[in-house]
Amino acid sequence: MERKGQLLTGRDVSSLVVDSLCDQARKRNLAVACFYFDFANQKEQFPTNMLGALLKQVVGGLAEVPEEIAQTYEDQGKVIGGRGPQLGDIVKMLQITSSKKPTFICVDALDECLARYRVKVLDSLNQVLQKCPGTRIFITGRPHVQPEIAKSLPGRVRSVPITPRRDDIIGYIRARLDEDTTPDAMDNSLEAEIIEKIPDNISEMYV
Amino acid sequence: MSQYFSNNTNSVNAAINVSHSYIIADDRSQILTWLSPLDPRLRHQDIRGRRVGNVGEWLLQTEGFESWCTGSEGGDSDNTVLFCYGDPGAGKTYIRYKE
Repeated sequence: MERKGQLLTGRDVSSLVVDSLCDQARKRNLAVACFYFDFANQKEQFPTNMLGALLKQVVGGLAEVPEEIAQTYEDQGKVIGGRGPQLGDIVKMLQITSSKKPTFICVDALDECLARYRVKVLDSLNQVLQKCPGTRIFITGRPHVQPEIAKSLPGRVRSVPITPRRDDIIGYIRARLDEDTTPDAMDNSLEAEIIEKIPDNISEMYV
Repeated sequence: MSQYFSNNTNSVNAAINVSHSYIIADDRSQILTWLSPLDPRLRHQDIRGRRVGNVGEWLLQTEGFESWCTGSEGGDSDNTVLFCYGDPGAGKTYIRYKE
């Protein structure tokens, strides 16, 4: 099992948030779009592709393609040889869809996006927020991208650390103890001691 | 005779309507592909399928997450962006080291 030995990753958090928002979207009239950056796919994850993929999800959830988007496609997509959408067009189209209904955008592992692309991605998201303040953006990443986010999205960012919580760790240890192939070697007091002591030591490591 | 033409015209109109709706459906998928060749929803399905139990669900109940989700618009510190940071490798490495 690939996941054995793992506690909690940024991707888990992102996918939980996306699922939770999708549940809410069924009750409220929301649009939800996600993007997972990945070292392995850095070259194809450039800003037009990334923001286009967000827009694609929002448009895919609408009953009809907004007229402005169909028109941009007519103008650019059907010229000889076809032309992909430009970043400025995508931002304008995202502003249009985000003004029609509240839009939640989740971006996972921003640190895995190339630095020169990151600036453009963050700046584009800021342009959407400026035009549509009802938009919400969720980002995960390693701490070193925090100053870039704060600079590109001034006054908008709240930062929260992801650290395994004591109950996460205890749940994890219990699950592993249940898989023990030599249960006779374990008695209740040893099990209690393990569950008591390991989370304390792990917590210290994250301080 | 006129009845015959009328019937034919109706069926021709019906055929035009059918083909028109095909064009709209076709345009829609073409427009979506034109917007981006990437499909993050497939990646999402893959990641959620490998998620272990409800680890991390506490985050959804924190004040930080809830106020981001439902918060009011505008203002100088509007918290419309929530940044969750951490070193995803740390937990994994520590647990494996102890094994």
